[in-house]
Amino acid sequence: MKYVLQRIGAMLLTLFLVMTLSFMVIRLMPMSLFENPEVPKEIQEKLEDKFHLNDPLPLQYYYFMEGIVTDLDFGISVKLRPGLEVFDIIVTRLPPTMLINFLSLFISIPLGLIFGTIAALKRNTVVDHVISVFVILFISIPSFVFASLLQYLFTFVWPLFPTLYESTAVTVGQMMHSLVLPIVALSLGPIATLTRYLRGELIENISSEYLLLARTKGLTKTQSIVRHAFRNSMMPITNTLVSLITGIMGGSLVVENMFAVPGTGGLLTKSIFAGDHFLTVAILIFYSAISLVTILVVDLCYGLIDPRVRVGGGK
Amino acid sequence: MAAETKKQEREVVLSVKDLKVNFRAYGGLVQAVRGISFDLHRGETLAIVGESGSGKSVSIKAIMGILANNAIIESGEILYDGKDLTKVKEDDFHEIRGKRIGLIFQDPLSALNPIMKIGRQITETLRLNQKMSKEDAKKRALELMTAVGIPEPEKRYDQYPFQFSGGMRQRIVIAIALAGDPEILICDEPTTALDVTVQAKILELINQIKKDRNLSVIFITHDLGVVANMADRVNVMYAGKVVETGSAEEIFFEPAHPYTWALLSSMPDLHTKERLMAIPGTPPNMIYPPKGDAFAPRSEFAMRIDYEQEPPMFKITDTHAAATWLLHPKAAQNGIEMPAVLKARIERMKRSGAVNG
Repeated sequence: MKYVLQRIGAMLLTLFLVMTLSFMVIRLMPMSLFENPEVPKEIQEKLEDKFHLNDPLPLQYYYFMEGIVTDLDFGISVKLRPGLEVFDIIVTRLPPTMLINFLSLFISIPLGLIFGTIAALKRNTVVDHVISVFVILFISIPSFVFASLLQYLFTFVWPLFPTLYESTAVTVGQMMHSLVLPIVALSLGPIATLTRYLRGELIENISSEYLLLARTKGLTKTQSIVRHAFRNSMMPITNTLVSLITGIMGGSLVVENMFAVPGTGGLLTKSIFAGDHFLTVAILIFYSAISLVTILVVDLCYGLIDPRVRVGGGK
Repeated sequence: MAAETKKQEREVVLSVKDLKVNFRAYGGLVQAVRGISFDLHRGETLAIVGESGSGKSVSIKAIMGILANNAIIESGEILYDGKDLTKVKEDDFHEIRGKRIGLIFQDPLSALNPIMKIGRQITETLRLNQKMSKEDAKKRALELMTAVGIPEPEKRYDQYPFQFSGGMRQRIVIAIALAGDPEILICDEPTTALDVTVQAKILELINQIKKDRNLSVIFITHDLGVVANMADRVNVMYAGKVVETGSAEEIFFEPAHPYTWALLSSMPDLHTKERLMAIPGTPPNMIYPPKGDAFAPRSEFAMRIDYEQEPPMFKITDTHAAATWLLHPKAAQNGIEMPAVLKARIERMKRSGAVNG
């Protein structure tokens, strides 16, 4: 229990630091939020006063935090969707992004585990070598290259899927049709990463002393591998999940833009270019909150799997 | 004691016949075991002694069917219960491991699965492959833990390996080896990784268990001090061959092979005033095993024939034999004897009754 509280405390502290940092960095950028030649000077100044933009930075920071803590008020969008609450914009943009990220995660994990296991069990055979070649390719080539390649192959050569997200999509089925390609593009890298890690872990565990003991005490090879090697390999794998998830989210920022997906990823880049500061800060906080939650979940799972973390002490 | 056991013809439990094991390596074929033969009799402790790389661990891995993938059993038989273990398929071998032949590991620190409860590691085989009920398996595990001297077994049952000390972990490993109620127990340097004080306790425990359960034990070690306490019979191995075999008394009091002499001389005792003898040189490269007597290049007693022709096993008594040309009638005329230092030491050992006593 103490472990859980510790983790949650650490998470909140990190989130606070991230909020502070993103606020400072964005607010220090040299662009006035309301700069617009068509709007009279006085109105611009009135608006700046309303959003405390003429106050010293620490005071701005205080108002900013106060808004978030008291009623989840992240401010309003000024440039992209003028007048709309930033929070509401993010919520409406969430579904496609969530679909892309979670689906590529749910595809990557089982496939990575399957290929990693095959490669480890068939180590140094043709199968292993073929898997290794693909692993190297998929790890070293970034997801947006796959995105272009998939766009070329499946929307131009064989037009099976739309090149860009179909804005008329409402149901999950329609959304999925547009999202197949970005999901595939995003999944290849994580699948390869997971395959590589699991292969290494499994091989190490299969050649370990305790696996030998498991066999000499009378377990069959399959039993000993599943019950000992595989289970023990899961421990370090849970750790790589963190980088896997953040990797997918980072890739999604770019890939969403390429497929014109109306998600939060595209929104972030657009808001930065437009100088829509409130929106940018809010999306940054949103992304770091998600990363921190995944880290928290992984940490807690780690405690469940590894008794040495849970019970404490020991080597 | 060995003197009595010599007289009664005892049942052979396990018989290794002319076993040859090679390993495929980058440099070529490593001939780790080059034709060893020995019998294990019911209720005895057979020690296999030799330095690292002499092939002792490889031999017992062959018996357990856990040789690495690049190993090839070139020839020979391991007869157990009417079966040749070298021909048993991996899918059937789990019927023998644990249930018939148990193994105790060298390093208890890495032999236990770090994230599995001790109790489960002991009961796993019983539950999965012997279809024992959960309660029965637990009861049996607790009995075993008591038998190997683990205090508060009920509490310890649900703990993890990192909560145990090295000696306690070795006791758990022994309990796991005994869980399937095997009739042969193979101990692969079971005390090498432990403190000296703990060593003695573990050896005592193995002796006790052996007596209680009428086990036949193969004891692998490079520590002759341990051998003296444990063994009825001793095989001395060098470069993949058994170079001398005999009862513990014969090996300690009347050693015949220069390698055995060297081993005994390099063992420290309380009276060692002079510089401790070390065996010069290193073991041969087993990709190209030397012609003749493999120990010859390191032996001060080597004769010309030792470099040319391999010595056969010369029988000294019914139980004692050694593979050295020194035992050939022609060489005996030269009157080569064991070093004086060793002779004095053996006299001391005889007087103090160090062997098995």
